[in-house]
Amino acid sequence: MDLLTVETFARPTDDDALRALQPTLGADRTLLGGGTWLFSVPQPHLAGVVDLAGLGWEPLVAAGDGLTVAATTTLAALGDVDPSSYPAWPAVASFRGCAEALVGSRKVRQVATVGGNVCLALPAAPMITLAAVLDATATIWLPDGRSRTAPVVDLVAGPQRNALAPGEVLRSLHLPAVALRARTALRKASLSPLGRSAALLAGRRGEDGFVLAVTASLPRPAVLRYDDVPTAGALAADVAAAGETVGGGWYDDPHGSPAWRRAMSLLFAEEIRRELGGTG
Amino acid sequence: MARIRTTVDGLVYEDDVEPRMLLVQYLRERLGKTGTVIGCDTSNCGACTVHLDGLSVKSCSVLAVQANGSEVLTVEGLERDGQLHPVQQAFHDNHALQCGYCTPGMIMQSIDLLGDNPDPTEQEVREGIEGNLCRCTGYQNIVRAVQDAAQKMKPGATASQPASVAGGGA
Ligand SMILES: Cc1cc2nc3c(=O)[nH]c(=O)nc-3n(C[C@H](O)[C@H](O)[C@H](O)COP(=O)(O)OP(=O)(O)OC[C@H]3O[C@@H](n4cnc5c(N)ncnc54)[C@H](O)[C@@H]3O)c2cc1C
Ligand code: FES
Ligand code: FES
Repeated sequence: MDLLTVETFARPTDDDALRALQPTLGADRTLLGGGTWLFSVPQPHLAGVVDLAGLGWEPLVAAGDGLTVAATTTLAALGDVDPSSYPAWPAVASFRGCAEALVGSRKVRQVATVGGNVCLALPAAPMITLAAVLDATATIWLPDGRSRTAPVVDLVAGPQRNALAPGEVLRSLHLPAVALRARTALRKASLSPLGRSAALLAGRRGEDGFVLAVTASLPRPAVLRYDDVPTAGALAADVAAAGETVGGGWYDDPHGSPAWRRAMSLLFAEEIRRELGGTG
Repeated sequence: MARIRTTVDGLVYEDDVEPRMLLVQYLRERLGKTGTVIGCDTSNCGACTVHLDGLSVKSCSVLAVQANGSEVLTVEGLERDGQLHPVQQAFHDNHALQCGYCTPGMIMQSIDLLGDNPDPTEQEVREGIEGNLCRCTGYQNIVRAVQDAAQKMKPGATASQPASVAGGGA
């Protein structure tokens, strides 16, 4: 897509250079991740872009307390992580399924970034699903040089609306070790086999209980938590209740009707519950 | 204007470009490489697929300035010494094109796929070329051609190909 109004392009090559540019960011000067969305729709307001690709942020940094994923990590790189490299963290096996739940093809996944996916905040954003089920925390750089942290799910204000202030940059996502030690399960429904997700649910069961993230079928993620695997009835009731309340109800767009999304979410919740050892 | 230095199909080019110029426009309008085509305005069709530093990307979704310092391979850079790349040859042999508009993108994406997965099943080919649309709906022969190319690119197979363009994932 022609971005005819763009007059300036900056590619900072170190953190200080990015920090210096942050106060200049706004509606007319925006961050460029992989550009897979930015170049796909008209941006008539845009006069400049600041490309994050030159910063050289390490894609994945593992430490005792978990894994930090740079915002500039591509979905392909995340999906290609070999779970056998992290034997203590079974949840790493869910990276591939989540990365491939973005149906834009490998061409898109090779450039689309984790940060761009979260900040675009589509209901069908699989990096939000991953972050929701693994309790990821975002590190955000403020334009005044300070940083703040927030649960990634709290960055999603609604469909294509994030909760970042002008000039803020999503620097990274931290996935805590306690969540990475859990087993996970993922389910996706779309109108065609390689279509945009209409319901994308992920579950985890570990030492801190059972967590279910309901995404794509709702305008923003719902995260349900239990001390242990709930009964089928309790989980279904909670999923149904989330659908009535979170973000204004089951999502409605050309990728699926609200009634179908509700039905698939209930079905998947139960499948995930059983896959993670639930009975009764 | 920004100065860029890019290697395209093995040759180094230096140019001043407007920051807003897309890579696909640079290839077509500055370098005359019209083999890379534009099929949509929404990043959906894949007709403009090229390799940027060895990975397939949509050249309509990258600025020319982003390719500064990079290597770009287009469909025009595949042939060696008058010999088509095995994937090009397989598209020819299997009649994998009708109007041919999607073909450059299909070929570039197929090479990327075979770099990752040298022996894909039919389903894996279909998934691998997902996001490359054929308006003529000639997918059957396209899939057949990719599988044929995979066989011919296997070590020891008769068709030979310089290693530098043998796989997109390299
Ligand atoms: C064919 C196709 C299919 C797609 N399918 C899906 C899908 O199934 N699900 C889905 O969610 N998306 C989909 N997309 C949209 C998009 O490609 C993805 O959401 C992608 O992950 C966006 O990442 P990006 O790095 O390319 O973002 P960009 O396009 O570069 O940026 C997206 C937005 O995020 C902002 N941004 C980027 N990085 C940061 C950062 N670090 N800090 C703050 N703001 C930032 C940008 O300013 C911009 O507003 C699809 C796109 C295409 C073309
Ligand atoms: S022209 Fe690039 S995706 Fe259609
Ligand atoms: S052969 Fe005509 S678009 Fe594919």
